[in-house]
Amino acid sequence: MRLINTVTRRQWLGTAILLVLVLFAVLEGLFGSADPARQQLMNRFLAPSAEHWLGTDQFGRSNLARMGEAVRLSLLLAVMCVVTAASLGIGLGVVAGWRGGWTDKALNFLVTTVLALPGLVLVLLFAAIVPGSFVMLYVGIAITLWVEYFRLVRAITQQRMQSPQLQASNMLGFGRWYLFKRHIWPGLASQVFTLMAFGAASAVLAMAATGFVYVGLKPPTAELGLMIVELFPYYAEAPWVLAQPLVALFLLILGCNLLASKPS
Amino acid sequence: MTPLIDVSGLTIRSASQPLMQPLALTLHAGRPLTILGETGSGKSLLAQAIMGLLPDGLHSDGDVCIQGQRLSTSERQALWGKQLAMLPQEPARALDPTMASQQQVSEVHQLVLQHTPEQSQQRSAESLQSLGLVNDGDKIPSQLSGGMAQRLAFAAATAAGAQIVLADEPTKGLDASRRNDVCRLLRQHIERSPERHGLLTITHDVDVARQLGGDIIVMRKGEILERGSAEQVLNQPSSDYARQLIAAAPSNWPNGLFEQPVPIPSKLLLETRGLGKQRGGRQLFGSLNLQLAEGEILGLCGDSGSGKSTLGDVLLGLVSADSGDIHWHTRVQRWQKLKLYQEPPAAFADGVALGQLIDDVIQLHGLAHQQVAPLLEALSLDASLLERPSNEVSGGELQRIALLRALLMRPKLLIADEPTSRLDPVSARDVTVLMTRALRAAHCSAVFISHDLDQLRHSCDRVLQLSEGQLHPIG
Amino acid sequence: MMPAAAIRNLLLRRLLQLLLMAWAIGTITFVLVRSLPGDMAYRIAAERYGDDAITTAAAASVRQELGLDVPAWQHYLNWLLELVQLNLGNSLVSGDPVIHNLQHQLSYTLALVFAGLLVSLLLAIPIGLLAGFKANRGADHLSLLASTLIRAQPVFSVGLLLIFLLAMNIQWLPVAGFGELKHLILPALTLGICMAAVSSRIIRNSTVDVTRSAYYQFARVKGLSRWHTFVHHGVRNISVPVVAYLGIQTVMLIEGVIMIESLFAWPGIGHALSHAIFSRDVPMIQGAALLMGMLFVVINALVDAICLWLDPRLQLSASTSNNASPTNSTGKKTAQEASL
Repeated sequence: MRLINTVTRRQWLGTAILLVLVLFAVLEGLFGSADPARQQLMNRFLAPSAEHWLGTDQFGRSNLARMGEAVRLSLLLAVMCVVTAASLGIGLGVVAGWRGGWTDKALNFLVTTVLALPGLVLVLLFAAIVPGSFVMLYVGIAITLWVEYFRLVRAITQQRMQSPQLQASNMLGFGRWYLFKRHIWPGLASQVFTLMAFGAASAVLAMAATGFVYVGLKPPTAELGLMIVELFPYYAEAPWVLAQPLVALFLLILGCNLLASKPS
Repeated sequence: MTPLIDVSGLTIRSASQPLMQPLALTLHAGRPLTILGETGSGKSLLAQAIMGLLPDGLHSDGDVCIQGQRLSTSERQALWGKQLAMLPQEPARALDPTMASQQQVSEVHQLVLQHTPEQSQQRSAESLQSLGLVNDGDKIPSQLSGGMAQRLAFAAATAAGAQIVLADEPTKGLDASRRNDVCRLLRQHIERSPERHGLLTITHDVDVARQLGGDIIVMRKGEILERGSAEQVLNQPSSDYARQLIAAAPSNWPNGLFEQPVPIPSKLLLETRGLGKQRGGRQLFGSLNLQLAEGEILGLCGDSGSGKSTLGDVLLGLVSADSGDIHWHTRVQRWQKLKLYQEPPAAFADGVALGQLIDDVIQLHGLAHQQVAPLLEALSLDASLLERPSNEVSGGELQRIALLRALLMRPKLLIADEPTSRLDPVSARDVTVLMTRALRAAHCSAVFISHDLDQLRHSCDRVLQLSEGQLHPIG
Repeated sequence: MMPAAAIRNLLLRRLLQLLLMAWAIGTITFVLVRSLPGDMAYRIAAERYGDDAITTAAAASVRQELGLDVPAWQHYLNWLLELVQLNLGNSLVSGDPVIHNLQHQLSYTLALVFAGLLVSLLLAIPIGLLAGFKANRGADHLSLLASTLIRAQPVFSVGLLLIFLLAMNIQWLPVAGFGELKHLILPALTLGICMAAVSSRIIRNSTVDVTRSAYYQFARVKGLSRWHTFVHHGVRNISVPVVAYLGIQTVMLIEGVIMIESLFAWPGIGHALSHAIFSRDVPMIQGAALLMGMLFVVINALVDAICLWLDPRLQLSASTSNNASPTNSTGKKTAQEASL
């Protein structure tokens, strides 16, 4: 298959890493029995054992359960943000590039407004409206992400609208859907995919960043950034516990970045 | 007299295979040497090997002597500018996009010849002046026309005083009048000092070889097929390939190549009244009155930028005119006004089998599938080509498939916008012949746009030239 | 000399951005203040005057200060009006004027920004050039690997690693704090390394593009030495996309500042912003976000100006059209290509 042939070694590696994380998150969710919020202060910082595969944290909570929840949250948020941002950005981008005129001007103005602020500041402000809300984080991140798709898709659509191949099909009498399917989408697909992979990484990063500066999801939710900032004071006592969210975050972003890589 | 360049046993190979057969050539002062052959025949590598400029991964063996001295690659590199100069294929890309024109010449005086800044300014100003670029010294390359960039590149390449000039496809993509300017420029280099200066040109254009004179080497696929003086090779070629190549140049087309139509008092397809169009603040044409009869093939020539393509687009309704109107004498559907493009691959969706695209058209308009086979035959196309996507089919074949797709629609008007200018000479001639034949068979009117007047003279019913916004009939 | 039309365009565009930014922040913080829970006034009053002094009157005065006693539309207009006059109000927590706090914090943030940029340039330029000139060889692969590994971590992870490495294990540097130059080293190093991980690849790609270009080769063929070719045709052309990318990287810079200031307890605006959000101190949130936004716009404008100065093509297009932006989509493209 054409698609398989164009996948690079790096992309395979990225896919593999992400698959492992997805499997971990799903399997832990299905079969894990521990409650990520249940505290047992007697069992602080237990080393990994048959009962607690990944050990326990400062409140004696099962790290396996907490890591499972955190990775699930990150993946869920990434998927939600990317799907929302991509659909919005592609839809509006095609409309703006195709129709031009006032539609284009109005949408561009909207985009300029979003871009006037650094993304994280916007996400933080959204997070501030309803503290600890997953939905607000999702809305804030999706709003900062969709503009990228919009700009890319609009530029490619504009360029394709002028292209001989679309012009030729148009003269032959083909309708809009055909023109989009045959001439515009093929030019978009691979670049949109790259942007989606990068977008997933940005979403994961943004949530972790809000957690890390303590204005994202609230304890006792297990969220990677929040876990890192909570476990930081115990770095000497239990470095392997602190390492877990750091490594998970690293793998999530690395996986997305590798997936986004193109053959050089 | 010592030859300027004496090459013997020169081979070029990549890591996996040889790219050029062992080759010998000699360049003498005062006598131009032209290497003639179609693109992809290894000619450019030859020039790069002589310069010592092969791309990474390619190696050359053999002896290269410059003015009697056998020199290694790095020794030849030390001669760049002062003795050896090479004109780039695409001058617009060879000029630094962020540097002012004159600076690109004067820096050579300053950095290579160690002149003072004042001297360098003065020398470069003089050379710009002699090339008609007096007021363009402060412009950057994107502000220059193709011809100006060509002359500036020439000034920059030879600023350090090289006697030997290598020109690699110097007329690529230029229309006839600019091509002649370049030939004149190259000849001037020799004429300025016939006992010292040498010129080695690489081209696919028979007319360039003719204009430069001197000696010619005909090459194909890394192999020398023929060599001799220009008169001899161009008038009595001995190899089949040279014969084909020379015969394919429009100026050499035989008179009976195209069947001339019986002049019938046919009725008009369309006429334009006072058509005017501006582009980029410039008036392309002001008030054009043009009549096109049904079944007529009209040739339209003109320099690049004269507005001939825009006129075609206006006739198709792709671009609206600023003034005037087009009156159609018969009712013509939108999909009966079609166009052939300069770049054949640009007209097809990528990544889809061509047959699929043809089927899309057939399905959309409820056409009969049996129409395809006779058209394939008429255009001498193999049916298996339709299984491939556009990027796996040669330009000449693709252009004929584009024509096939258009003919399926029983078009009333076809605008062929430089349909052969990106093809090699032999397939350009084939496409021209097959296209006109098919258009006559379909009784389809056409406007054939080209920069090559000879091509149009042979193939069209009448030829108009668009210049200064006016149409002039060419007899 | 840069044409005046181009400069005017640049300033107008950035001024528009500034206004949009201020309007967006004003609006969101307005929503914020309207959505404060009802007992907020009591809590603020309690924090300010102490639990004992809490009275209905004190709470009412806080409510009035917040503007919660008028209809929403009127409140919104007032809110924006105050913003336009740069009247940012008082902190709900401390009661001090927001402006005073910000003035103090700005100097810390600026110190961090400049030190971080300096570190990133000192790292990225030599590494990027080396990798570009030795493309697809050892040094290039090594720099790609390092860049990939650093880019796969959030800024605060890199900061934590540096803390473990330099401050805790070998105790060269203080972990956190401020006031002395040595306190700036770790935060600046973190910021610089994260930015260099990306910009070194941009420099590398630009170097490869330029050195393989027809004009670079032509300069050699004209007779210029390798060094002269690099100085006269390399430096400027390599810089153009790199500087344009810096404009995009400003986003990363601002985000990095927010996280790094939290991590190292560096008393800058980013730290103030996250603190204010945590304690729902709306005037402080607005002020800190505004200042962050202004920093963003100013740096972007500087980058634009440098682009304009470097690239005469932009000066041309700016004087003929109104929407020439140096930080265009091609910059974004290089960002993606640089990724891996």
